[in-house]
Amino acid sequence: MRNRARHQDALADKATIDVRVEGGGLRVTPEGALTSETIGVMREKLERGIPAKFSGAIVFDLSKVAQIDASGVSLAVFLYRLAKARGLSFETSGGDKDRRLLVDLALRGQDPEATIPPIGFVREMGVAALSLQEILLDLIRFIGEISLVLVRIARRPALLRLRDTIAAMSRHGTDAIPVVSLLGLLIGAIIAFQTFDPLAKYGAKLQVADVVAISIVRELGPLITAIILAGRSGSAFAAEIGTMKVTQELDALRTFGIDPVRFLVIPRLLAVVVVTPMLSVYASILGVAGGYFILGPQGFTVTQYLTEVREALTIGGFLQGLAKAAVFAILVAAIGCLAGLRTGQGPGAVGLSTTRAVVAGIVAIVVADSVLGSFFYALGI
Amino acid sequence: MSDAPTPLSASAGAARDTSRRDVAIGLRGVAIGYEGKAIVHGIDLDILAGEIMFIGGGSGCGKTTLLSCLTALRKPIAGSIVIDGIDLARANADEIQRVRRRFGVMYQLGALFGGKSLLENVRLPLEEFTDLSDDVMDDVARAKLGLVGLGAHAHKEPSEISGGMQKRAAIARALALDPPIIFLDEPSAGLDPVTSADLDAMIVALNHMLGTTFVIISHELASIYAIGHRFAMLDGARKKLVALGPPAELRDKSPDEWVRRFLNRVPTAEA
Repeated sequence: MRNRARHQDALADKATIDVRVEGGGLRVTPEGALTSETIGVMREKLERGIPAKFSGAIVFDLSKVAQIDASGVSLAVFLYRLAKARGLSFETSGGDKDRRLLVDLALRGQDPEATIPPIGFVREMGVAALSLQEILLDLIRFIGEISLVLVRIARRPALLRLRDTIAAMSRHGTDAIPVVSLLGLLIGAIIAFQTFDPLAKYGAKLQVADVVAISIVRELGPLITAIILAGRSGSAFAAEIGTMKVTQELDALRTFGIDPVRFLVIPRLLAVVVVTPMLSVYASILGVAGGYFILGPQGFTVTQYLTEVREALTIGGFLQGLAKAAVFAILVAAIGCLAGLRTGQGPGAVGLSTTRAVVAGIVAIVVADSVLGSFFYALGI
Repeated sequence: MSDAPTPLSASAGAARDTSRRDVAIGLRGVAIGYEGKAIVHGIDLDILAGEIMFIGGGSGCGKTTLLSCLTALRKPIAGSIVIDGIDLARANADEIQRVRRRFGVMYQLGALFGGKSLLENVRLPLEEFTDLSDDVMDDVARAKLGLVGLGAHAHKEPSEISGGMQKRAAIARALALDPPIIFLDEPSAGLDPVTSADLDAMIVALNHMLGTTFVIISHELASIYAIGHRFAMLDGARKKLVALGPPAELRDKSPDEWVRRFLNRVPTAEA
């Protein structure tokens, strides 16, 4: 500690700087070593010595500099930017040709206006709102693009990459069964557990089956499946396609004349649109089964429970669940693939796209759920 | 055939007078390789302060492995590499850390940090190793970007600039702590001839103005002849340093046929 202080004192002695107003302008004459070691002290002394008012040119005098390095030359950058900010001229004097060249090189392209102003909170909110609008428009355009490709495929089914679609169904459907099973079963049990006591007070223990059946089949089955889909498949789509973008595989596809939407997006989208409603039905069945884990020990038979469930459910409610699952699947697949296609450059870009795909996917699912819920309610389903 | 490289007078040809300068990096009996197996051994080489030294050779001759050893990322399997009085082969972690402050490295693809502006990239070593104020660090970083001709691009990210500019920005970052030595790994790779020549001119200017020692791993002959003071050539087949001297002189007068062929770009069939 003491050594460091001594070193700083020695540097302060070694680094002197003369700052004076001369003919209305400012003349700055550093003396001795102007290097990475002394730049901190030099700069401090300079800033202390600059008078509040001067109007002529700033002259950076190198005649007394014994040694200068690439950090030392930053003193000239500071003075140059100061001169530009005040609308004054700047010149270098003294020193040999090499030193003046070093200063001239360091000053090239230095422009105080090039500094980006710090972003304030209000400005940041504005920027965020504008980018949200842009993202939504981009998503709508992308869904439009997907629709056009689907029309082309409907006219010429050979354009569909069937093998890729089936592989995607296996990866994003079959492989998701264990996690969907676990969550479905537990959510059903949790709902039954949480509603049992309140309903028991009114002597309506068996009506727990109604609550489980309606909430799981209409709402939670599709919702859980879609959230798992966003986490497993949406992120995978973004990462796969994003990596292809970074490694120029997408450019390679385009140069072959292959449309990346038809080649990469459609198989994934169709796969999840087919498997998500199936997984949703499966999650609903397990959710209803999970409810019985709570009611069974209370003395209700399987027949009693299932009869109650069948009475609670309507075909409209079941179809509502299926429709929601299909819409969620379209949103998650479109958002995941879009995030991948819009991946930027650099090592962090794929990670950022994956995060976007998951967060935007879940937000879109919840927003769509509330809109669809209101819609079906208005229709009386 | 003797194990020693074929030396030519260091002061001849385009090279500067190197006879009275300090040694920036001293290699004695260095063997480099993997898992105890040497790719090249018996390297004796003094890289002088203020010199532009090219190290080259055919593919797989150990250039990149040697660079890893010189930059303390791996240890040689034998011999000593001394920078600033510290032997990298035997140095402890503190000494390695100290010696790393004495050099900067520009990697083949620039290795700039994505998501950070060029200014932030150059500022990073200053933030880690100095106690300068934010304003001073900004101006130091700006000065260094100015020196490599990127003063007007300080707020751009690596993805927004060309490959040549990325390499220049990487040199500015290597200069951040004003190291006396800078290592460049294949600086011309992937660049067009004009950009490559611009980069060469910049290296010469920095070498001239700041006295920085440049150690350049490359087999770009145009650059080697244009700016190299000396060229050290490794040969993977003979597992040794086969030539050391001013590049043009080696090209014309080297007693080693492989060295002359390499430096004259003679295809194998013609030889």
